[in-house]
Amino acid sequence: MKQWMGVPIAGALLLSACVTINVYFPAAEAKEAAKEFVEKVIKDADKVDVKEMPPAGGGGMALLERRIRTDLSGFDPWVLVGIGSAQAQSAPDITIKTPAIQAIQARMEARFNSILRAGFDSGALGFTEDGYVSVRDPSKVELKDRVALNSAVADDNRDRKAVYREVAVANGHPEWEDQIRAVFARQWIASARPGWWYQAGGSWKQK
Amino acid sequence: MARPILTCGLGLLAALAAPGLQARSAQLQATRVDTPAGSVEQLRIKLDWQDKAQSGVLDLQAARVDLPALGGRLRAVRWRCPLRRMPAGGWSCAGDLRAAGIAPLQLAIRLDEAAVHADLTQGAARVRLARSAAQPDVFTVELARVPLAWMQGLLAQAWPQARFTGGRLGGQLRLQAQARALQVDGALQLAAVGLQNGDSSIAGEGLGARLQLHYRSAAEVSRVRVDASLQGGEFLADKTYVALPQTPVGLQLEAVRQGQGGWRLPRIVWDDGPALRASAQLGLDAAGNLDSLSLQARSDDLTPVKPRYLSGWMGVVGLGGVDLHGGLSVQAQVQGGQLQTVTADLRRIDVRDPDGRFVFDRLQGNLRYSAGAPVASALDWQGGQLYGLRFGPAQLSLSSAEGELRAPGLVAVPLMGGRLDLRELVIRPPRGGAGMDIRFGLRLRDVDFGQVSQALDLPPFQGRLSGDIPRAHYAQDRIDFEGGLQLGLFDGQVTFSSLALERPFGTAPSLSADIALQGLDLLRLTEVLGFGSISGRLDGRIDGLRLVDWTPVAFDAWLVSAEVPGVRRRISQRAVQDIGSVGGASFVQTLQGKLIGIFRDFGYRRIGIGCRLENQICAMSGLHSEGNAFTIVEGQGLPRLDVVGHNRAVDWPTLVERLMAAGQGDVAPVIH
Repeated sequence: MKQWMGVPIAGALLLSACVTINVYFPAAEAKEAAKEFVEKVIKDADKVDVKEMPPAGGGGMALLERRIRTDLSGFDPWVLVGIGSAQAQSAPDITIKTPAIQAIQARMEARFNSILRAGFDSGALGFTEDGYVSVRDPSKVELKDRVALNSAVADDNRDRKAVYREVAVANGHPEWEDQIRAVFARQWIASARPGWWYQAGGSWKQK
Repeated sequence: MARPILTCGLGLLAALAAPGLQARSAQLQATRVDTPAGSVEQLRIKLDWQDKAQSGVLDLQAARVDLPALGGRLRAVRWRCPLRRMPAGGWSCAGDLRAAGIAPLQLAIRLDEAAVHADLTQGAARVRLARSAAQPDVFTVELARVPLAWMQGLLAQAWPQARFTGGRLGGQLRLQAQARALQVDGALQLAAVGLQNGDSSIAGEGLGARLQLHYRSAAEVSRVRVDASLQGGEFLADKTYVALPQTPVGLQLEAVRQGQGGWRLPRIVWDDGPALRASAQLGLDAAGNLDSLSLQARSDDLTPVKPRYLSGWMGVVGLGGVDLHGGLSVQAQVQGGQLQTVTADLRRIDVRDPDGRFVFDRLQGNLRYSAGAPVASALDWQGGQLYGLRFGPAQLSLSSAEGELRAPGLVAVPLMGGRLDLRELVIRPPRGGAGMDIRFGLRLRDVDFGQVSQALDLPPFQGRLSGDIPRAHYAQDRIDFEGGLQLGLFDGQVTFSSLALERPFGTAPSLSADIALQGLDLLRLTEVLGFGSISGRLDGRIDGLRLVDWTPVAFDAWLVSAEVPGVRRRISQRAVQDIGSVGGASFVQTLQGKLIGIFRDFGYRRIGIGCRLENQICAMSGLHSEGNAFTIVEGQGLPRLDVVGHNRAVDWPTLVERLMAAGQGDVAPVIH
């Protein structure tokens, strides 16, 4: 009998201590932010893009400036036993609007237009599965340009690593770095133009 | 390639040449003919000779010609030519040689009892082959403007995945082909050579060379000896990029291969004058991977070494712009694919990063690394800079064993009027997939913060920076510091803790820290900041500070005046206006607003201001708050003046602009 004595107390504790803080990785919002970032970097300056601006307004960075609330649509098992839990929302803002990230983005955009785009168009470069750029077929590039391309790819990958890290940190969750990188990795591939190469399941595919 | 054709042709001609023969047509067929140099399949030779005609028509066809020693292979070969008897004796025949997949060539053959001559031409390219009857295995070859693509087969023998993408060849060779053995000697001139391996990780272009070649190939052992003078061109092997100068570079090379094992290169000598002289012994395993290497290299002038040899690697690691000057000798040993020892002698090396990240002046001494038994070395430098912070001369005694470099004891480095002591430095170079790992302790003694402020473009703060960081650890592009630094500033203390630096020399270096301020003299602080004048003492903290690319992106700051008995607490009119302009505040006065203009300063009870920076928005707070308003200055005495801020969320760039304006005195008085 004695062991059942604690039940009401535990129950009371449960009822009063059900304030849980759930922070889920805001995948949908991160995807939206990644899309904005990626599209800006790889958008072709020569082509006029007629695109619907997000309601927040204010040009290409608008979405990034927008504060995005977390999606707390997780399944709560307590509902099954009739206990509704009070969830305190920690609403992380997926923001990419820090001067550092914007500076890196501007640099990546310039580098993409000056050297990387030609590499993607020719098939020399490809997007890897883990969010980076790789030289997949150096023979597409003349030898004299290959050294510059190699070092541009290395520079770009360093910038990418910094972006994934800083986006996670700027949003108060350094531990999200890998998830942010995975979201960006999918986005680079999703935004890739027809004919560009990307890695899928360890092998190269052409879009 | 002409050899089997010749061999067979000779037999046929010998029959035809018999005196008194009146044959009109002769035909020879063979399913397969094997010779030491190669084999011919489905050979058909037909000769038609009209009565009393001056010449006959020789028609030679073969389904397949294989020349394994030369690596050549031809299909659907056909050679038709008018066969003539030469006045001096012997025969000649010249006509088009066609084979599947190649442009037609002109083949002319002359043969007599003493020798056979064959001329193969295509445009300006010519190969002249001669064989004497006395030495039937020996061919002499003269080459003129021959496309290297013709030598594809020969290249594939030594390096199966490689192919020539361009270039011409001239020179003379002596070939001796015996059963499963080939011997080639001669002098060659190569121009505009291009080559590439299967995945293009190794490629050369525009290479020019004059070389002496000695090649012996047999079933049990193959040997190559090359004595070359290279002239111009470029070469890329993975990340190593070599741009050859227009001045000749000497290359001597010996390579041996036992059976199907890996190549061993017992002698490689590279001579690029004072820029780089190197010699090496190298062994590859059967798969072509590096097994052993012994390298000795010396450069008396590093200036041209970077553009010629190091630009590929330095670009990839983000040091593309770095300049190197001075002299360097390196000896390295690799065994079993693992780096065993490195000994580097540095002679007055200057390293300069044009982006201003680091500078080293006059690096001298030696640096020895060992993956096994302990070795000792010592380095010193005259001075340098790290992100604009100048450091002075220092000596570093190093020991290395088991793949680690250690500087035991203490290394004292003069730094900005004070001293930096490095303790127990342990460097583990990248090895087996693990990146660079550095551990050290750090102590700062009396560093002049005035100089630091100047170097970092901060307001002219004066103070002495000291501190102890018992353990710092660099790994994966991040330095974590245990312990903290204390800065004696304006009679008070500023303490830095939880310091970490990410990507110290990479993209957007990111510094994080917690800062605590205690008892700073506000009068001196406000003077330095040009922020009116406030007397009193300041406490505070800046938690979770994060600077990315040396720009604040996040912190939670709270600065508050300290109550110290006997210290006057006055705030000048100008400071009130500056605080007001920064905080977007209005003045709440117990007396008439106009009075503010009359008084030079006011007494205050407390000043408190907070800012929590996140996403470029500073959430401001004060001593106490009501709704959106927060009190920054709480007045005392008469006239009593409170400063109340009204906008809690302030755009950070705007705030910085206002602060700068206030510091420069560009603030118009605003009195409500």
